[in-house]
Amino acid sequence: MSSRKRKKYSKDIKCVFFPDDVKSSVQNVGRETSALSSASSAKSWEKCGDSFLGTPVIKNRESLGRKPSVIRKLAPASASVRTSAANTNEDQLHIAWSSSDSEQSDNETEVQRVSRAVAPWQQCLQRPARPIQSYSRALRMLSSDKDDLPVIDTDSDFSESEEDAEQASEEQISDCESESSDEKPKFSTHKPTNVRELEVSGYVSDREGASGTLDCKSLASQTGEGSRRSVSDWVKFAQAMLQTPQKSLDRQIKTPKDSAKKKRKFQSGGLAERLNRLQCRQRSAVSFWRHQSIADPSATTSVDRPGVLVLEVLEVQEECGMQLVHCELHQLPAEGQAVSQESARVLVLFCRETAAQLIPAPRDIIHIYPPWQSLTIHGFSCDIILNTHFSQKVFSACKPASLSVARGLLSSGRRTPYYLGKGFELEACRTTDKVVLSTVPCSSGASTGHVSLLDAIEGLGQAGAVGQDVEVVVQRVYSIPVPDCSPVSVLKPRAPLRPFADPCRPAEKGKVRLCVLVQDGYGTFSVVQLHRLPCEDDLPQYCKMWQGKTCLLRGIKVVQRVTRERCTRLFSLIDSLWPPVVPLQDPANTSVTFSPYCCNKPSLDASQESRAAGPAPSFCYLLSGEETSVQPTEEPGLCPLYLPPAARTLQDVLQSEEKTCRWSFVATVLYKRMQRCDVGRGEVWLALTDPSLQEEHLERPCRRTVALCVCASCALTSSVLEALKSPAACRMSFRDAVKEHGVLLCVEQSVLEVCSVHPGDHLQSTSTAESLPQTLAEPRAQTLPQPVRLDPLSLDATPNSLCSLSGVIVGVDESTAYSWPACSHCGSENLEILAGSKNYYCAACKSAMDKPDTKMQLDVFLSCPTLSNCTLKVKLLQRTIASVLNTAVAVAPDGDEFPGYDVENVLGKEVGPLAAYVRVVTRKPALWIGLEEICL
Amino acid sequence: MFWCHPIGWRNRRLPQTQDVKMRSFLPAVAEQLFRDIQKTYQETSKIPDDLLIALKFVFGPCALQALDLVDHRSVTCLTSPSGRKAFQVKGASGRLYTCFVSCHYCPCPAFAYTVLRRDEGLLCKHILAIYLCQALGLTQQESVSDQHMSALLGGSAAVDT
Repeated sequence: MSSRKRKKYSKDIKCVFFPDDVKSSVQNVGRETSALSSASSAKSWEKCGDSFLGTPVIKNRESLGRKPSVIRKLAPASASVRTSAANTNEDQLHIAWSSSDSEQSDNETEVQRVSRAVAPWQQCLQRPARPIQSYSRALRMLSSDKDDLPVIDTDSDFSESEEDAEQASEEQISDCESESSDEKPKFSTHKPTNVRELEVSGYVSDREGASGTLDCKSLASQTGEGSRRSVSDWVKFAQAMLQTPQKSLDRQIKTPKDSAKKKRKFQSGGLAERLNRLQCRQRSAVSFWRHQSIADPSATTSVDRPGVLVLEVLEVQEECGMQLVHCELHQLPAEGQAVSQESARVLVLFCRETAAQLIPAPRDIIHIYPPWQSLTIHGFSCDIILNTHFSQKVFSACKPASLSVARGLLSSGRRTPYYLGKGFELEACRTTDKVVLSTVPCSSGASTGHVSLLDAIEGLGQAGAVGQDVEVVVQRVYSIPVPDCSPVSVLKPRAPLRPFADPCRPAEKGKVRLCVLVQDGYGTFSVVQLHRLPCEDDLPQYCKMWQGKTCLLRGIKVVQRVTRERCTRLFSLIDSLWPPVVPLQDPANTSVTFSPYCCNKPSLDASQESRAAGPAPSFCYLLSGEETSVQPTEEPGLCPLYLPPAARTLQDVLQSEEKTCRWSFVATVLYKRMQRCDVGRGEVWLALTDPSLQEEHLERPCRRTVALCVCASCALTSSVLEALKSPAACRMSFRDAVKEHGVLLCVEQSVLEVCSVHPGDHLQSTSTAESLPQTLAEPRAQTLPQPVRLDPLSLDATPNSLCSLSGVIVGVDESTAYSWPACSHCGSENLEILAGSKNYYCAACKSAMDKPDTKMQLDVFLSCPTLSNCTLKVKLLQRTIASVLNTAVAVAPDGDEFPGYDVENVLGKEVGPLAAYVRVVTRKPALWIGLEEICL
Repeated sequence: MFWCHPIGWRNRRLPQTQDVKMRSFLPAVAEQLFRDIQKTYQETSKIPDDLLIALKFVFGPCALQALDLVDHRSVTCLTSPSGRKAFQVKGASGRLYTCFVSCHYCPCPAFAYTVLRRDEGLLCKHILAIYLCQALGLTQQESVSDQHMSALLGGSAAVDT
């Protein structure tokens, strides 16, 4: 039997390591803990007389109401702490003896056997058996450490514990039934039951998938952190590794997806769906929290935040897979008041996962961070603390690393399974009963401490507003169009396509909503949607007030949690702000005096309190608030965490290799192309250039102009709209434009502003100077050459770009060539022929005219010497048409009828060079480019 | 009260220490949670998020499945003319599980394994669903004959109802 051999082998090793060194270390522990215990019991005495009043922690009115009885109970209770602590010491000293005394350990197993003989459900595994179990475990740890065969050892460990479990419960779970019964006597003499171990391994293989991955992650990151971690942490980790069989680890990795596929079909709007959502949220919060606490485990944890429970473990018991820990509640003194310490008893429930991490043992100090829940049960003298996912052991009662394992294992008691013969009483519910579950949110409203966005948001449950001020830096201020009556869907605003909408959009008030992208000192981003702007032109003012400043978020509500996948554009902006310019704070490490934005912190402190930025965040929160929700703090100047938009030249932008990124630049808009006549309702295509692209000899081959699309989701101020409507070229600053697949886009978070062409013009440049840093005045800022240089039309022309072209007319599109009259005064085409005369009347300018202007449209096909095998169709401008047709008039009498033109005369004419806008490019079956002549 | 008993670890080699049993707290916690849910639901016709989260915390993965059963109104209370009652829960697979009114038992494998064998859960999802449906008043009512009831309670007609 190979397995037998293995077991034997590992036991041999244990024998080798049995003697002195271990024993002495055990004795050390005994001594040390005795000192500790006396100290802690003295502490508990001190606390007895204190009152309950100063506690902001448990919001439960019931517990406050029953205060007198609680205090009355304190005296006997703390007395029992003392005795129990002393007992533990005795115990430990005893272990030291028994470890070297084989006879005694035999006796121990006698007791075990007796207990096994008892009916399985009656069996109560008690503490006496524990020290030895843990001792042998400690030995195993040592042996596996040295013989380099940890995997094998783990395996044998596992199977043994499985067998033990079977023996204990008289139920065969695994398939090695006969073998185990054969070996039973042998095992029981050598090694007592290791109940604890069984639980852990069972837990790993049994629990649900998603939480499994969390654990995996934390294990993995723990390994990575190895060098930094204390020895006791290492042992905890090693213990977890040793107790986790390899095969179930594999399974664990697979399960989440499987179960996710299988299970995630809940009735929409149902309770299960809701819980599932809550669960996911909680899971991510826990994983985030754990990730951060693992990132710096040695850090002392902050307890200054409201709602943190500081607990001393008195006694641990296990029930239905959960650990119930009786704790004494240490109320930390509030800031400045040293005396208000007090204690009370609570019963804390830890789920298996948390318990496996904490390994609570008597006299440990555990911090539980909000949100947690408190449940008062009628007839119970103490409150029950539930939902303790954010727990951390800050003090282990036993210091030496190798023995923390032993201590952890001896601590949990196990009781009889609960009585199934009676159902829970529901009917007893009277209407006078109060609902006694209360959730302590991450923080209470009155707090002054700086919390992270994540704490504030995850802590509030789902109900309502974040009742706490969160200090953040406003990274960006922008506005988004408000789609009709649906403020929630602003993330993906659709351009309202009302055909008869007023084209003059700026006149419509309240159509854009102010948004800020904020980041807290821990790196979490959130978008806060604020009030509707009464006027779009207020945006620069808010930029000036908030952007780059440290602000307090107040009275915000959570709208949505968005992920990178769901909102790629937003995350491209976040990515452009990542990694942060200053080191981020570690949440496990906040202190009262800490200000995440304080840049004059000594560098030593910074190295201790900050952590590496890591990968860019994968989620952020969408919050909503009022105008008053963002309140700049008194701190002058810009926050060091603020990363201003870095101005680039268009040449930099074009030559960047990055796939999606945000760019800010100042450029001259040469040409605008609106999809619809009403600017701002649909897309607007702009052709941009800047001096870097217009240099006579470009350093690198580069296009002279760039196409940029202003999406409908990008809110435009009235001055920008005005500039876009006017035919003249204008200079604009573009903040946070996206480059997606080589195309520049202005989207939700982009901000356009009109710059003055002349730098001295203060009227227009004030807002720009505020929102874009001085670096925007690029070194190569010269005026553009006149006329602007354009790329000659080439084979790789893209739609919406500008080019220059010249060629010979080889064809005329006669079907689209036509002319029409237009008002000679105002250019309107809305003319009426006055009855009885040949005069025209313009409906627009209400004037009559003899001879209206004639407007013409003519599309010609050009042959370009540099482009062979390519059809070029160019829609010509009036003046070019005129010059082309000038010679083509077949008959030009003064007669009333327009005589028409002769196509033959047009063909062969040379045109150009023309500035043209590329409308369409079709590459199949043959290259066909549709262009439109433009006037720059 | 409970912490006044230091679980008898003083005389660790004496057999009588086994008799010192710890009190069970989880059933009381569960009971209180159900009462809270019932109370809140009677008043507001809603279950707040924190109660759901508490359910999840106490009952683990079971809670989600049980709530799904509640959503699907899978719990039926069968009453016979003789006055006997039993619950029937229609599982996700369509199988019917008969559970008793007065005690905790469910014929499902999860109950046998998690509750009975390993003592790692208070209830299975079916029993939990019964409690939740009772608390929310969402239990379907159905009358059956005495004969059928006796067959059900006798365990011979569990499947074909």
